[in-house]
This record gives sequence, C-alpha cells and structure tokens, in this order.
Amino acid sequence: MKFSTFEYFFQEVALSLRRKNLMSIASIGTVAVSLFVLGVFLILVLNFNRLAGTLESQVQISVYFKDDATAAKEREAAALIRDMQGIDSVHFVSREEAMNRLKERLGDQKYLLESLDNENPLPDSLEVVVKRPDMVETAAKAISKIEVVEEAKYGQDVIEHLFDITRLVRIFGLVLMILLAGATIFIIANTIRLTVFARRKEIAIMKYVGATDWFIRWPFILEGMVLGFIGGILAAVALRSFYAAMAAKIYGTLTFFPLMPQYPFMNYVAIAIILSGMAIGTLGSAISLKRFLQV
Amino acid sequence: MIHMQGITKIYEDNGALALDNISVDIEAGEFVFIVGASGSGKSTFIRLLFREVLPTDGTLIVNGVDVPGLKKNEVPAFRRTLGVIFQDYRLLPDKTVYENVAFAMQVIEAPRRLIQRSVNNVLDVVGLQEKYKAFPSQLSGGEQQRVAIARAIVNRPSLVIADEPTGNLDPETSWDIMDIFHRINSSGTTIVMATHDKHIVDTMRRRVIAIEDGKIVRDEARGVYGYEV
Ligand SMILES: Nc1ncnc2c1ncn2[C@@H]1O[C@H](COP(=O)(O)OP(=O)(O)OP(=O)(O)O)[C@@H](O)[C@H]1O
Ligand SMILES: [Mg+2]
Repeated sequence: MKFSTFEYFFQEVALSLRRKNLMSIASIGTVAVSLFVLGVFLILVLNFNRLAGTLESQVQISVYFKDDATAAKEREAAALIRDMQGIDSVHFVSREEAMNRLKERLGDQKYLLESLDNENPLPDSLEVVVKRPDMVETAAKAISKIEVVEEAKYGQDVIEHLFDITRLVRIFGLVLMILLAGATIFIIANTIRLTVFARRKEIAIMKYVGATDWFIRWPFILEGMVLGFIGGILAAVALRSFYAAMAAKIYGTLTFFPLMPQYPFMNYVAIAIILSGMAIGTLGSAISLKRFLQV
Repeated sequence: MIHMQGITKIYEDNGALALDNISVDIEAGEFVFIVGASGSGKSTFIRLLFREVLPTDGTLIVNGVDVPGLKKNEVPAFRRTLGVIFQDYRLLPDKTVYENVAFAMQVIEAPRRLIQRSVNNVLDVVGLQEKYKAFPSQLSGGEQQRVAIARAIVNRPSLVIADEPTGNLDPETSWDIMDIFHRINSSGTTIVMATHDKHIVDTMRRRVIAIEDGKIVRDEARGVYGYEV
C-alpha cells in the first residue's frame, strides 16, 4: 500500500470522527467503561490465581509423631518418607523447637502457656514438602499409615476453597466480559453504520471509478480500530489508578496477600486491554460493513 | 467496443421487463445516443454497461471483457476503463472542484504527481481551471456537470457512458456540455449517452439507437430523435 493511501485513510478517519464527535465520544466512552470492567476482572482473576498458586506451592504436610515414639523410630520414619515418591524435602521439628515457635507466634499472649507449668504438650513432628500439589493427598495418606505417626495434616481444604472462589470469579468474569464485549461491539457497529450512511455518496462514487472493495472498507475498519484504541488507552490509565489504590488498601490490611507487583504486571494488563479494544473495534466495524456496505 | 447479444433484463424485485432480447454492437470511437420514452429502458442499458446491474440473460462484452462473467474482485479493474456521468452530477459537497476530480485518482491509488498533472489537465479540458478551489454549492449546474465529466475522464477511460447528462440543464448550458463530449469523442473516446434532448440529437446527427418497451426499434448511423416532444 502506498504512503499517500495511508495518509488518505487517516484523513478520512479523522474527518469522520470530527464530523460526528458526539457519537464518537459516546462510543469511545462505552469502550472505555467496558474495557475498564474487563480489566478489573482480569486483575482479580490473575491475582486470585497467583494467591492460589502461592498457597499451593507452600503446601506441606505436617507429620506429628505419637508421644511414645522413640527417636530411633522417628528417624526411621523420616528416612522412609524421604524415600517416598514425590517428596521434595523432610525437615525434623523437635517438640522444643515447636514450643519456641508457638511462643514466638503468640508474642504478647505468651502468658497463655503459663498454665502448662512448663510442660510441653507438643509432639515431635516433620515438615514434609511435596514436589507437586496434586501429590499431597496421596503422600499424606501413605505417611499416616506409618506406625509411629499419629497424624499427617495438610491445608488442602483451604486451597480448594480458594480454587472455588477463583473459579467463580473466573466464570462470572468471563460471562460479564462476553456481555460487555458484545455490547461494545454493538455500539461500535452502530457508530460505523452511521459513518457508512454519511458516506454512501462517496462510496457509490468510489465504486463507479473502480476503487477496490478493500480500499473502500479500510477507512471504516480503521475508524473502529481507532475508537477501540482510544477507549483502550483511557481504560488502561483508569486501571492503573485503580490498581494502585487497591494495592494501597490491601497492603494496609491483608498484608499476607501476595498481590502482583504493579510493574510490569500493569503494563501487560494495559497492553492486553488496548489490544482487546482494537480487536473489539475492528470486529464492530467488520460486522457493520458486512451488513451495511454492499461493495 | 460493446457487443450485446440477446440481452434481457428483468428486475427481480418487481418483475419489470426493462430490456427484451437486445442485440447491438458499438465500435470504438463511436458517439451513440440512446433515445426513448420514459421507462423504455435507457438507464437500464447504461447500467448494464458498467455492471451496476447484471443481465438476466444474454452476452455482454465491453472493452473485450465478459461483463456478467466478471468475478466480484475483477469489477474494480474493469470500471477503471470506463467513465460514468449522471444527470444529478453526484459530486461530493464537502470537497472542492479539484478534490472531487482528484478523488477518482486517489481511490485507485494513482501516484500523487500524476494526480496533480492529470487533474489540472482535465480541468483545462472542461474549462474550470480557475474554479478549482470552489465547492459544488458555489457552482452552476452546468459547471457542476463539467466537474463530473472531468472526474469521469481523468483516468483516461476508453468508454464514457452518460445517463441524461443534460437532463437538468438549460439548452445553452447543454451545448457547452455537448461541446466537451464532442471534443472527448474527437480524441478517440467512445461515448454512449442516453438522452431525452431532441434538439441535441437532431443537431449532432450521430448514431441513434431508439428503445421502446425494452426493444431496439431503430438504429441509424446519422439519426434524428424521431419523436415529438
Ligand atoms: N431498480 C429498479 N428496480 C425495479 N425496476 C426498475 C428499476 N429500474 C428501472 N426499473 C424498471 O425498468 C423499466 C425501465 O426503466 P429505465 O430506468 O431503464 O427507463 P428509462 O428509459 O431510463 O426511463 P427515464 O427516461 O424515465 O429515465 C421501467 O419499467 C422501470 O420501472
Ligand atoms: Mg433513465
């Protein structure tokens, strides 16, 4: 394609946007709002995924020994576990160490332990880390069958819960995204339809003098793309502020939440949103052209 | 230049039989008037030539091209060999005279320098070089039609087809237009023009094809209009 042709296309788009600027602003606004909501869900889903992933990767089995287990038996059991399939590491925690950890965790409330009269009710234990999350259950079952093991515990239910939430957010987000994308495509298609209508004389003349179908279509496609692009940029800017505010809030309260760091995460989100905007815009004009531009 | 054999056109939407088994040949360089009463099928004849409509039946060769047999993507290239002019000018109101003519070259992606040269050239031919900056609304009907002619010939078509180009113009202005057509034809361009204008046809004494109810009823080399108006 020639440079002068490009120039011509962009002039046409600029002219068209200016000519019906109210309609253009309305459709850019709709695109921006839809993409913003889309972006919010994208951010939520990605963060929940990350949270679930983080917790998952931290999955470990706490293995508690029976009170009457001898040190030798315990060592034997640890060796046995270490040889099991899918085990990443095994770390021995003595009952003294467990007590110290408990004290540390209680902090100011250490006095609660005074009623124990310096007796330590905690058992010796092992911290077993598995290689893959889906191995946790099998490993835990096998471990609990060892004679000196009282109990093998892991946080599976918490994680499953989180997965449920993530799945829900994802499904809800997907449905909402599809609805919003549909509405946006509709708005853009409508805007382009108006352009086609305003340009019907030009289009007729272009056909008479032998312009190709694609030459006629391009300015319209481009207009949809530009509407989507501008809407996408607005949404991306708004999302950036939204995420900064959300991060501030979360770091202030839920300190454990492993939020995606703002950079480069938000750059990727911005790119995804802007590209989605352009895709939606292009699709909108394509649909409109298919229906209203008989070339 | 044009070969029609057994051309029939029935408009599908209302079943109107606009052309009924027409056969005619037009040679390169000819100047042909298509005459006939209102509704006889003149415009349909013209529209078939630039593939605005397709024939229901028959053979149509224009410029060596099998027009009904063209694939959709071959139509633009075919149309570039033609110039089309209408009764209502069909200029773009928000473009100047110069831009209206240049438009026909831009949309077929002609090089910019060629556009400038060609547009100035044809504006000269139609005598509008001084008004190149004017908008259509600032021009008389005759001047607007001259712009439309300039646009039709700027890509140097070998065939110019016009549907009642003087239909909206007073007699004197009509003669200005015919003078331009005469000059275009003298340079070798074939011209097919549908018209109601008895005076023009009778004065120019060119080939006249008369259509009545979709049939050719007369075809004379140096004909006259032949009807009372
Ligand atoms: N687009 C169309 N759809 C249906 N019927 C049409 C269409 N165009 C023309 N016709 C019919 O075809 C016949 C020929 O019409 P056409 O326009 O070719 O006549 P014409 O000779 O150009 O008339 P006029 O001198 O009034 O312009 C008429 O009966 C008309 O009603
Ligand atoms: Mg007519």
